[in-house]
Amino acid sequence: MDEAADFMIRRILIANRGEIARRIMRTCRAMGIESVAIYSDADAHALHTREADFAEPVGPAPASQSYLNITQVIDAARRAGADAVHPGYGFLSERGEFADACVEAGLTFVGPPASVIRGMGSKTAARATMIAAGVPVVPGETPADQSPAAIAKAVRAVGLPALLKAAAGGGGKGMRVIRESSEVDDAIVAARTESERAFGDGTLYVERLIEHARHIEVQIFGDTHGNVVHVLERDCTLQRRHQKVIEEAPAPRLSPKVRATLLDAAVAAARAVGYVNAGTIEFILEGDGDEARFYFLEMNTRLQVEHPVTEAVTGLDLVRAQLLVASGAPLPFTQADVRASGHAIECRVYAEDARRLLPQSGRLLMYREPVGDGIRVDAGVAEGDTVTVHYDPLIAKLITHGATRDEAIDRMTSSLLSYDILGLRHNISFLLALLRREEVRDSRVHTRFIEEQLDALAAPPDAGLVRAAAAIAAWAATRQTSPVTLSGEDDLSALDPWALIKSVAW
Amino acid sequence: MGKRLHLTLGDDSWTAQVSANTVTLEPGDEAAAIEVEPVASRLRARSPAGEKTGNAVVAGDSVWVTVEGEVFVFDTRRRSQQDRRGGRDQAAFTAPMPATVVRIAVKAGQSVHAGDVLISLEAMKMELPIRAPRDGVVRALHCREGELVQPDQSLLDFE
Repeated sequence: MDEAADFMIRRILIANRGEIARRIMRTCRAMGIESVAIYSDADAHALHTREADFAEPVGPAPASQSYLNITQVIDAARRAGADAVHPGYGFLSERGEFADACVEAGLTFVGPPASVIRGMGSKTAARATMIAAGVPVVPGETPADQSPAAIAKAVRAVGLPALLKAAAGGGGKGMRVIRESSEVDDAIVAARTESERAFGDGTLYVERLIEHARHIEVQIFGDTHGNVVHVLERDCTLQRRHQKVIEEAPAPRLSPKVRATLLDAAVAAARAVGYVNAGTIEFILEGDGDEARFYFLEMNTRLQVEHPVTEAVTGLDLVRAQLLVASGAPLPFTQADVRASGHAIECRVYAEDARRLLPQSGRLLMYREPVGDGIRVDAGVAEGDTVTVHYDPLIAKLITHGATRDEAIDRMTSSLLSYDILGLRHNISFLLALLRREEVRDSRVHTRFIEEQLDALAAPPDAGLVRAAAAIAAWAATRQTSPVTLSGEDDLSALDPWALIKSVAW
Repeated sequence: MGKRLHLTLGDDSWTAQVSANTVTLEPGDEAAAIEVEPVASRLRARSPAGEKTGNAVVAGDSVWVTVEGEVFVFDTRRRSQQDRRGGRDQAAFTAPMPATVVRIAVKAGQSVHAGDVLISLEAMKMELPIRAPRDGVVRALHCREGELVQPDQSLLDFE
């Protein structure tokens, strides 16, 4: 096996922002690859823009005019003299035409070939491919006739409850649960409208709704030398509105027999589509023990948000492997090298009001991450930065690793308790409430657990906690040396609150 | 002696007396004074009820506090100084955050039923419908489709 590839990426444009842009840069730096950031007008001073070796503007704040603008991104790569592009996740990462545009511009695209992205991007085509590869799929129907009447007929054929999904879908967009036959017509209109708006394609299909199921996914990796391996599984059952909240590896309470079959199926599926680079095959798991059954959900042809839990338990750097494979080198590890050590868990820290379910924006008046052994924080922001309304409200991913699952969870709890974020509302108390639940501790959860337990999980803080907070507020306010706050008489509303922040080193 | 100040949090308010590291809150049990002290760049509040550690930032009239992952924003102005806003209805017709108006489903003068979607906003990839809180009439619209609206900006008049 030739160790050195003929070609090695020297300067890479990272077609993304926030934490994932920074995470990719970290590996680039370790490999001696120069990084080029792109930024919208809103991100001119963002952390990922400041940290990159080079940075190129790509347009106004709305993503559709900047991070999603293929012409702008390719131009930026040309201007910067990049020889490769890493798409990260989201944005253009799963757009076949972007992969094509990179190749046409002479840039190495860090990901699978455009044909594979397209094949998996259509959920209906992916289903057909998996059926052909012998991978179990959720029972369902893909009506060739896309009229509302034909889709309604397909819903009746599949039976209720059913799940209406967008063929071009992802991230829960264009998806509707149908429980009553009276809901069918409205659901078709809603799913179609949402799908057309989000993806420019209103094609729908129907699946049987599998309730009380778990979401298990397999990290797979292929190279251009014909190697395809799995890098174990992750459990991403804890979701809210189809957005993952907590992920872990390995999946708890998975029988060795089912795990082996699942990992084999994922490798078979990846081989069937000629997969190259990092990808994830998502399954839903129904039932328990050796009797558990899994069904293919979809394949994500990119690096996954939750890849750090896999890195934590395997000790592998998945971005490094991506860059090597994209350069034409063989995978830097074999199947035998892939072993889990301990347990890892990831919490997504979002700027959101967990009670009212609303994303938040604002300036980070204080931002202090937990530190310690077995703790990793992948953040896109620093103190003083602004979380804007334009992009995903993810502030950071907090990952903890322990010898056992209990240890990883305990470490997560103490890390969340010492994570100080002020200036906007976030979901840390909600994450703590989740981790305190016995069902989560015992891994007896399903994908609707959060929705069903929302009231309890988002319960208001008890009086004792509010009083402690009030006492801390009073103490802090009186330590404020500025006369303006103590007098309380002046109208400060016209001033930038940032100007009045006292530096806080208690 | 020490310092006195007012704290408001939603519908609750307190008068706090801060003497060195001892904080007393009224209304509340006089005996239950809370000791606040800096510990390793954070703030620890100790009372007979227990110990809580968090942090705080003073920003103008607001004090942001985090304890056990909860975020509290206290207002240090007296009630009389605080802006008097309209009732709940008015708050219902404002954007909860900077957002884009993606759809206006009603016209001025239109009668609507409770629960009808009047305006759809979009922020951070989420759609946020503004619904009629009861049967009524849309008197006027103060926004246009495609417009970026700010929190607390009135989007429509409703009776």
